[in-house]
Amino acid sequence: MIQIYAVGVNTFREAIRNRIFASLVMFAIAMLLLTLAVSSASLHEEVRLMKDLGLFLVSTFSVLIAIFIGVNLLYKEIERKTIYTIMPKPIHRAQFLLGKFAGLAWTMAVQVAVMGLVLALQFWLLDARFGVEMVQAVWLAYMEVVVMVAVALLFSSFSTPFLSGLLTFGVFAVGRFVDRLATLKLGDPSERTETHEQISAVIRGVAKVWPDLSLYNVTPNVVHGAPVTWSFVGSATLYGLSYAAVILLCACVVFQRRDFI
Amino acid sequence: MSAHPALTVDGLVKTFDLGFLGALPGFGWLAARLGVKGIAHRVHAVQGVTLSVEPGEIYGFLGPNGAGKTTTMKMLMGLIHPTAGTGTLLGRPLGDREARARLGFLPEHPYFYDHLKPQEFLEFYGQLFRLGARERRDRARALIDRVGLGYAADRPLRRFSKGMIQRIGIAQALINDPDLVVLDEPMSGLDPMGRKDVRDIIFELKQRGKTVFFSSHILQDVEMICDRVGMVVRGKVVSEGPLHALLDMPSHRIEIVLGDIDDAVVERLAADAPTPTRVGTQWRFAVESEAEVGAFVRDAIAAGARLVSVTPQRRSLEEVFVARAQEGDAR
Ligand SMILES: Nc1ncnc2c1ncn2[C@@H]1O[C@H](COP(=O)(O)OP(=O)(O)O)[C@@H](O)[C@H]1O
Ligand SMILES: [Mg+2]
Repeated sequence: MIQIYAVGVNTFREAIRNRIFASLVMFAIAMLLLTLAVSSASLHEEVRLMKDLGLFLVSTFSVLIAIFIGVNLLYKEIERKTIYTIMPKPIHRAQFLLGKFAGLAWTMAVQVAVMGLVLALQFWLLDARFGVEMVQAVWLAYMEVVVMVAVALLFSSFSTPFLSGLLTFGVFAVGRFVDRLATLKLGDPSERTETHEQISAVIRGVAKVWPDLSLYNVTPNVVHGAPVTWSFVGSATLYGLSYAAVILLCACVVFQRRDFI
Repeated sequence: MSAHPALTVDGLVKTFDLGFLGALPGFGWLAARLGVKGIAHRVHAVQGVTLSVEPGEIYGFLGPNGAGKTTTMKMLMGLIHPTAGTGTLLGRPLGDREARARLGFLPEHPYFYDHLKPQEFLEFYGQLFRLGARERRDRARALIDRVGLGYAADRPLRRFSKGMIQRIGIAQALINDPDLVVLDEPMSGLDPMGRKDVRDIIFELKQRGKTVFFSSHILQDVEMICDRVGMVVRGKVVSEGPLHALLDMPSHRIEIVLGDIDDAVVERLAADAPTPTRVGTQWRFAVESEAEVGAFVRDAIAAGARLVSVTPQRRSLEEVFVARAQEGDAR
């Protein structure tokens, strides 16, 4: 356990010292511009826009940063040979991988929390209420990040950062709409053929195992004032953690087998 | 002392599959079988290395660049999976955790987490050995002094020079007070002072009963401190034993320098010792074996020459490498 912790702390510390959090400044500036832009709208519209765009910025910013760091995490250790002195020590490869995951997940937790605070500050400036549904939305955005960190680690356990980045981004982009594919039926109902059915079935099957990131976007509810239930937040969290766990397990298996050359 | 060897290498083989398709499982083998080139090819980096290191020994793993030293060590350290063969560390199979807890390793051309300062770095590694907070701190501090980096304690590793990195690398290999220390080219990149420091550290480890297994391609690094060496050329161990046994090979030359001789005598003596060379007012001859020395010197003195010196020429490691490689080709 202490080994996972040590690797995690080191990963976090490296992220800080390499000024990863500089991206937060960019985020704050983007938020500021956003506020200026929406302040011309009517009061009601203003808050709606803030919720919509603010949440979009929080989740997209943090997922992109997580992918960027995530795909480089293992590659850097191998490329710079830092792993050469880690692996001969009494630490299991899986422990190392989990430590890297934990470190990045923690880095991203701080990142998302700060973004949430910046968002809350904007609300306060606009005299709008930053309700519990906003906290829930930010939390779910974080869970999406956790899933994506795991996916990035899986790809980067066997391929280059560039390819891993593309693949991870693909999983992310499709994942946000995959709920629509889960019920897909190709072709017009009148002229639907066997082939249509088969292809649809395959796509639906793939959609079932694909991470369903639509769970983590509750913006429509938040904007329209429909409540988000805690049981929904709970099950989405559980889904995310389980999904990340399975992905990490696969990453460990791949990582276990590879040569560090 | 324990009964088992500190380290054994038993028929280790590593074949790298390279090329566009080489990385696919089985493809390298197939391409080699079919004689296909270009899309996949193989590199036989290590071709059956076997050796064993006794407890308390300093063992030099010698060989020219590209001989397979690093690859062998990486297999021992669990960084790459052997194609075939096995080994033991401290009497336990490769990958065993308890053995690793008593192992120290310095890779070739090391690089470390450059955002850390020396103390932070060593304490982090101490955590990986589950050392307590106090022990980590004390050991890290002592090692930083031991490798002569006390003056750089406040700098992050990214501002370290090559030689400083090598020193902190040795410190990290010793953070767990290991019984077996494996060092890959520990003297590379160091100036003469640094080389001496490393030699001293290795020797000190031996005096404390530790076993050291280190690689080098430079004779001076090994001749002063090694108990035994194993020489690897092109992925195979070509000889193993005390260093002098490798260097004083049967056909070693003996150099004889003579003064006060005229050209006629030089010409006559050259019949026994071909290609003499002029050095100032003196002449240098070389005979091929000890047995010839007596007769040659008697002849020379009888001819009125003044004997300046007789020096056996040890072969340089490079010469031995070349000779061994040629023997290997002939076989
Ligand atoms: N990752 C690798 N891929 C392909 N060939 C390699 C790799 N690593 C080493 N080799 C080859 O294996 C041989 C042995 O290399 P190495 O073990 O580094 O030798 P040494 O440490 O004795 O200089 C060399 O021919 C080298 O080119
Ligand atoms: Mg080498």
